[in-house]
Order: sequence, then structure tokens, then C-alpha cells
Amino acid sequence: MRRTQLTLRLLLLLGLALGIAAIDTVTDLEIAVGVFQIVVVLIAVRLLPARAVAGVSVACMVLTILSYRYTRFGDSEAGLINVLISLAAIAGTTYLALRLSAAIGTVHRTRAHLAHIARVNMLGELAASIAHEVNQPLAAVANSSSACLRWMANDPPNLPKARQAVERILADTHRASDIIARLRGMARHQAPTKQWLNVADTVNAALRLLAGELNEQNIHLRVQIQEGLPPMLVDEVQIQQVLLNLAMNAIDALRQVDDDDRRTLDVRAGLEAGQLHFSVSDQGKGLAGNDHERVFDAFYSTKPDGMGMGLAISRSIIEAHDGRIWVASNPQSGATFHFTLPAVTREPDEQN
Amino acid sequence: MSRTDAHDTAEPMVYIVDDDSSVRASLQDLLASVGLASMAFGSAREFMQARLPDAPACLVLDVRMPGVSGLDFQQDMARLNILVPVIFITAHGDIPMSVKAMKAGALEFLTKPFREQDLLDAISLGLDRDQLRRQTAATLDELRRRHGTLNDGEREVMALVVSGLLNKQVAARLGVSEVTVKVRRGALMRKMNADSLATLVKMSEKLKDVDR
Repeated sequence: MRRTQLTLRLLLLLGLALGIAAIDTVTDLEIAVGVFQIVVVLIAVRLLPARAVAGVSVACMVLTILSYRYTRFGDSEAGLINVLISLAAIAGTTYLALRLSAAIGTVHRTRAHLAHIARVNMLGELAASIAHEVNQPLAAVANSSSACLRWMANDPPNLPKARQAVERILADTHRASDIIARLRGMARHQAPTKQWLNVADTVNAALRLLAGELNEQNIHLRVQIQEGLPPMLVDEVQIQQVLLNLAMNAIDALRQVDDDDRRTLDVRAGLEAGQLHFSVSDQGKGLAGNDHERVFDAFYSTKPDGMGMGLAISRSIIEAHDGRIWVASNPQSGATFHFTLPAVTREPDEQN
Repeated sequence: MSRTDAHDTAEPMVYIVDDDSSVRASLQDLLASVGLASMAFGSAREFMQARLPDAPACLVLDVRMPGVSGLDFQQDMARLNILVPVIFITAHGDIPMSVKAMKAGALEFLTKPFREQDLLDAISLGLDRDQLRRQTAATLDELRRRHGTLNDGEREVMALVVSGLLNKQVAARLGVSEVTVKVRRGALMRKMNADSLATLVKMSEKLKDVDR
């Protein structure tokens, strides 16, 4: 699939280069049409890997020289200078364009890396402070329980002391649940700001953010969005976060796949049983037996450097939107994550 | 070796330093339920400012506290020559933290919530150790005091006797009569409260260890 696409692009470029060379050949030597080969190089940089760009550039130079050789009209001295200028232009453009795309690639990679580190650090800090906050009352409860048991085991049992211990246990239990309630409050702090959105636009906007990553990983993206879907009432950022999360997981899963045909990310959206139904599927390694239930748990990750937060957050977002999220294994290989969102009609009055 | 010090009879005391008041209260109650006296402090500073009883003790110290952290305080204690055994408790401990604490001489490193028995075992070990340390220190003080009561002649005789010389050799070395050596030796044995030469040698070793 990818190979045919690559070949097609190469053929188009070759056609363009040949066309320029042909015009160069039929025009006078004094007219340096060959300079326009830089257009071919600039297009190639956008479409092809670095080595192929260098090849295209060499091909353009060869074509320019050939067209100089076969041009019949004009002053051959001026023609030679024009050819040299064209060659220098092509070579210079190639060099600069490749340098630029390498720099852009580095910037992308560094930014993604930094974002990852920041995320991991923040979550690590968060987890540590939650653990500390919750463990304090738990420790007190454990101590008080032990003390209470001992007071009761005394002969005669020291009931006033035992009662005090139980009262402390109650207070500390409430304190623990208050801490958790506060955390949940914090998590909900950013209330979703829902607005009416077009499904295709939202999905495409999210996926556009992945273009660089997909290109770099040489992964083919296949998007199928049913025509005429009703608009959805959602928090745009949150839903895009879910889509990105699922897509990034799929890309991670495809990282180890060598088979080019399998390096495809499928994203679908449609209307099923009165609900908007989204799916993101890959043909990676897939999930092991009991991972299906656990992947949505917080702090559970199948990735060595995963925090186990992405899918947990995705689930809370989807559930806050009255949707459902689940995962299924694909028949051949890989996994498909599905989620639904309610398909609301904009004016319910008209329906009745 | 005689034990005449009074410290053994003092009631052992457990100090608790934790910034969380319910952890403090529950720990004090837990210790009370097994008959252990305790004093609780909200910070390392409060602990340092308090008047502490002269008794075998051990310190249950929280790692993460505002102000001086438990680990920092452990370093301060070493610098100030506070020798109370330390048991660390922490609500979230990691391995580097526990390694650091144990290397600095902590007795135990417990993660909250811990099993009461682990804490009680550590406390009992810490109290035993502190008692032993205090006894050793007290014995040494006593030895030094006794050694201080010797006059110069007796001190000279003691030094030579414990190095293995016979009375005759000591007398020759000091240029006094053998009878004088015998008299001084009898007096110093009495003053040092040593019943044999072997005991005296041991005492002199201890005194040397301290001077070193």
C-alpha cells in the first residue's frame, strides 16, 4: 500500500522533472529553464525520505546536463553558464532543504520528548503526594486499630481506651475520604465546556496533530468517517485528547511491527444504534488475556515506560460525556479501541 | 564488672516526631497499650527544645516533615552527638531514601501504614540498644572517676603492672622499693574496685579506648 503510493509520487516527480527538461531542451540555450528543477527538489523534500531526495536531485542535474547537450538553438557559451547556474541552484536548494527538514525533525522529536518527560514527572509527583496524603490517615487507622485490640485484650478490658481508639479510627477514616474527595474535585476542576461540533472536523483536527509522528514512523493513516453524521455536543479538547491518546497508543503498538502492510492506523466514526461510534485500531501485538479489563485502570500500563494514566483519563472523559469506552482484539492482530458518544439532535422539539 | 549506675531503673521513653497529629496520637496510644511511655513532637525543632528525661530512649522519626526533614535531622543528630537510636517511618518511602537512612545508622525504616509488630519490635530493639549504650557509657564514667582518684604513684604502678611487668621489675623501673610497689598496687586495686589483675587490664583497655 505504502510502496505503491511512494512509487506513484516518484513517477509524478519524474514526470515533472522530465517536463522541465523537455521545455529546457526546446527553448534557447540562453533561457535557463533548468533552474526550475529546484521545484522538483522542494516537492521531493516534502514527500520523500532524505536519501530519495538526494537521488531526485542528482536525477534533475543529469536531466539539466542532458538537455544542455541536446538543445539546438542559442549561444553555447551562455548556455554553459546557464547550466552551471542551474546545477548550482539545484545542489544548493537540495542541501538547504535537507538541512531544514532535519532541523524540523529534531525540533519535533525534542518537543515530543520534553512533553513526555514533563507528563511523567508531573504524574510521578502527583502520585507520590497522593500516596503521602492518603497513607497518613491510613497509618493512624492501623495504629489505632492495633491499640484498640490491645486495650480490649487487657484483663479487664480497658473499654474507655478502646472506645477512644475507635473514635480516632472513625475520624481518620473520614479524613482519608475527604482527601480523596478533594482530589476528585481537583480532577473535575476543569469542567468540560461543551459545544456543538462537527464529527469529521473534530477527528481530523486531532489527527492532524499526529501527521509528523505518522510520517516519521512510516505509518499509514486510514480515516473513515460516515457522511452526514449529526453534530455532537462535547468538550472539543477533551474528545481530541481521547482520540490522540488512543492513536498514540496505536502508534506505540505499531512501532515494533516490521511488516509494512500492517503499519496502518485505522480511525473510524459512524452512527450505530442511535449513538456516535468511534474506533481506533492497529495491527500491533494486541492485548494479552486479562489486559482487556485492566487497561483502563489507573496506573496499569502494558508499556515499559507507561504511566497507566492515558486510558484511565480517557475513560473518565468519555463517561463524563455519557459515553462508553472499551477494547476488543482484532481477528488477525492488534487491538481496536471503541468509544461511543450520545448522538443528540440539535432541536429535540422538532422530532416530536 | 559492677553496675552501680541508676539509669537502669529509669523508665524507658519513646520519642515520636511526626508532623501529623493523628499519627502522633495513634502511635502514643498504641505504645501506651503495650505499656510504653512516650512523648510526641510535631517537629524536629520542638523535640530539640524539649526537656527530655534521663532514660533509655528511642526515636520514631517521620521522614517527610515541613521544616527540617527526618533525614536532615538524622544528620544533625550525628553532628550534635545525640545517640538515640532512630526508627524512620514514612508515608511514601523509596529505596534510595531508605538506603540513605540505614547508612546513616537508622535502626529500621518502616513505610506507613506499617504492621504494629514491626514497629514494636524495632522500638524494643532500640530501647535495648540504648540501655546497653547508656550502661557502657555509665561504666566508663565510673571507671574514669575511679581512675581519677588514684595518685600519681599509683597511676604509674598501674600503667606498668597492666603492661605485664612483675612487681620487682616495676620497682626497678620506678626506682622505688618492691614493698612500696606492693602497697601502691594494693591501694590502686581497691580504689579501682578490681578483684584481679585480669580485671584491671580490661579496665585499662577501656580507658585507653576512650582516650583514643
